[in-house]
Amino acid sequence: MAQTTPRAAPVVLRLEGVEQLYDGKIRILGPLDLEVRDGEFLSLVGPSGCGKSTLLRIVAGLLRPTGGVVRLRDRPLGGVNRSAAMVFQSFALFPWLSVVENVAVGLEAQGVGIRERLKKAEKYIDLVGLSGYERAFPRELSRGMKQLVGLARALAVEPELLCMDEPFSALDVLTARTMRDLVLDLWASPAVTTKSILLVTHSIEEAVAMSDRVVVLKANPGRIAETVELKALPRPRRSDAPAVRETVDRMYALLA
Amino acid sequence: MTRRLSRSLPVDLGLVAALAVVLLASLFGGSFLRPYDAPELEPSPALLPVYLLRSLARLGVAYAAALVLALAVGHLAARSPTARRFILPTLDVLQSVPILGFFPAAVGLFIGVFGGSALGVEVAAVFLVFTCMFWNLAFGVYESLLTLPEDLQMAATQFGVRGPLRWSRLILPSVLPTLLYNSLLSWANGWYFLIASEIIAVGPARYTLPGLGSYLAQAVIAGRHDRTLLALGLLVATTVAMHLLLWSPLDTWAERFHLEETGDHPRTPRVARVLGRSRIVRGITRSLVIPLGQQALGVAGRVLDFVGRHGRAVGILVALGLPAAMAYGGYGLYGLFSGRPLAPEVLGLPLDLFSSFVRVSLGVVLSAALAVPLAHRISRSPERRATAVAVIQILASVPATAFFPLIAVVVTWGLGMNAAAVLLALSAMFWYVLFNVVGAAAAIPKDLVEVARGLGLGGAGYMRRVFVPAVAPGLVTGCVTAWGAGWNAMILCEYLETGGRVLSVRGVGATLARATYVTGDMQVVAASLASMVLLIILVNRLFWGPLYRQVAARCKMEA
Repeated sequence: MAQTTPRAAPVVLRLEGVEQLYDGKIRILGPLDLEVRDGEFLSLVGPSGCGKSTLLRIVAGLLRPTGGVVRLRDRPLGGVNRSAAMVFQSFALFPWLSVVENVAVGLEAQGVGIRERLKKAEKYIDLVGLSGYERAFPRELSRGMKQLVGLARALAVEPELLCMDEPFSALDVLTARTMRDLVLDLWASPAVTTKSILLVTHSIEEAVAMSDRVVVLKANPGRIAETVELKALPRPRRSDAPAVRETVDRMYALLA
Repeated sequence: MTRRLSRSLPVDLGLVAALAVVLLASLFGGSFLRPYDAPELEPSPALLPVYLLRSLARLGVAYAAALVLALAVGHLAARSPTARRFILPTLDVLQSVPILGFFPAAVGLFIGVFGGSALGVEVAAVFLVFTCMFWNLAFGVYESLLTLPEDLQMAATQFGVRGPLRWSRLILPSVLPTLLYNSLLSWANGWYFLIASEIIAVGPARYTLPGLGSYLAQAVIAGRHDRTLLALGLLVATTVAMHLLLWSPLDTWAERFHLEETGDHPRTPRVARVLGRSRIVRGITRSLVIPLGQQALGVAGRVLDFVGRHGRAVGILVALGLPAAMAYGGYGLYGLFSGRPLAPEVLGLPLDLFSSFVRVSLGVVLSAALAVPLAHRISRSPERRATAVAVIQILASVPATAFFPLIAVVVTWGLGMNAAAVLLALSAMFWYVLFNVVGAAAAIPKDLVEVARGLGLGGAGYMRRVFVPAVAPGLVTGCVTAWGAGWNAMILCEYLETGGRVLSVRGVGATLARATYVTGDMQVVAASLASMVLLIILVNRLFWGPLYRQVAARCKMEA
């Protein structure tokens, strides 16, 4: 399937020679180069200890790499990445804030007025299907619903890049599948402006089912083993489709 | 946004200051600026409400100061490893040192600074109450910030939550439950030391501030049991009222700030479900405490961010001021000892120290022996725990003097003043152990309890294999605190004046009290204080520290 993919799609985020040393000696990650293009769904997979989460924290600007540069549309990243928003494996919701306050917290931090931020929060709560739960507190929600709040909170700041750190790992199998479909629907929906997604996962099946491109990482130190283009794989991807199964098998072989 | 905040900060501060000034001015009238003439207190019971209000104002001001400072210091210690290296040992030493012993020096300082006016004595009293409220608040803030999940902090950072918003949305909410719990302790402490801080005696000079504590102390000294009981009743009624009107609604509101997602802890209305059923409590919670709480969070966030941003300046100020103060103190000490030969009391200090040491140690052992089984009984149901915490707090805030009638009984029975002193000390020490053990017992994972039950571990087996190991870290923490409190109590309970009689036993506390209140011999004061502090720090370093590390290594619950 030799499609003429628009290779020239602008780059949202570029890592150049990024590396992370512990104590100035022990190499955890890199050096590696990576780019996320506009409108791309990119996944990072790899065994535990390959530095996936470290990499994601560097992208989000929560961790300053010991070497290399992170560029946002060619501007080097200084502090926290304001054009990215993060979804956490542990949800990381504020237990003392209601659903709507949790979703609006990023907007509040940006100084958006109360009326506008409530309107926006409502919109994204509605989009993830949590209407009616605005006044609920996180402890009253199921794990799946908590992660929906986490997703709405990230989307509500309308970031250029959505970063997700093992977002489905703490959920049961059925909930995880529903959530994956929801994320793909939102990604395709015109109501959501965020079109570039960076997903960190340890599940090859998940990466293959969702992404345009998968970067496979190796451990000790974390570095890129292989990059697999999946843009050509038709969507929606059913896990029992032969093409999908063949891709998954191929990637298992890569990781072994 | 930032501009709006920075403009509203002075307004907020100004409002708070204006409110405080109006409140204080109306309470104390013009007496501030007159030279202080140390009046005897009018003993008429009709004046008790006025005395109570004045004492409450003192405690309130001290508490507010302790709260703000504890938040700033605790946060700084949790955030900056450099600051932590200075703050933690300082707090540790200061909280285990008998604050009461330093009262005369502090009072002298404040009275001097304020030119001998009543304001100086007021400030001194507030400062004394502050010192006994501050430490556990600061430690509480520090510890709960250490356990704040990293993901939550990262999420806050990622979504740009910083400055005042970070305080009001992340830091304050996360420390609130601990802060409330420790506030109960602080207030109990404050009431306990109120007596010592409202009658301030330095040698022959005696300053009496009108207040409930001084009224109580006067009644005891005069041997008027009717007035003593009346004042005590008022004190207990006040603590109960504060529970009903303040702590209980706050506690209900703070439910949502608990971090743990499961467990029976957050769901149970503590401080007795009974109180939660009261329509008054619920009404106050809904209409007053919750809106006020939200507002307070916002204002506090702005103030604390302001304080936090100037943390470095404050740090530098302290770093410069502390050595200067120490040098000044050292010079004063040198003057005390070089000018004249040692007083006979100074030579008797080793024996004094030994007998006090025996008393305090006995107090710790007794406290632990009583607290563990009691905590086990209390912690079997969350509701019971709630009620118990309320009752304990009320009991703990009843000052040692309340037990004077009991002392009289013990003395007449012929058990002697020694037993009486240990009993009195217990009244100050026991609660720390119980509070800590109850807290640790509440944190025992439910799974563990269920596994033990499934294996048929009951009674003694459960105590030995599950309960005692699980509460051991808390028990040691409680014992360390009680140990410090015990030394403090020695000053109060080794030397008593009641109904014209003086009851005293041999001990460093008695020596210190006599030197402070009777002879005014500063050499003896300095020597006994110094030796006491030295002994306490030595035992902390050589015994409690290693013990805690061992116990923690074996018995800490892993997440």
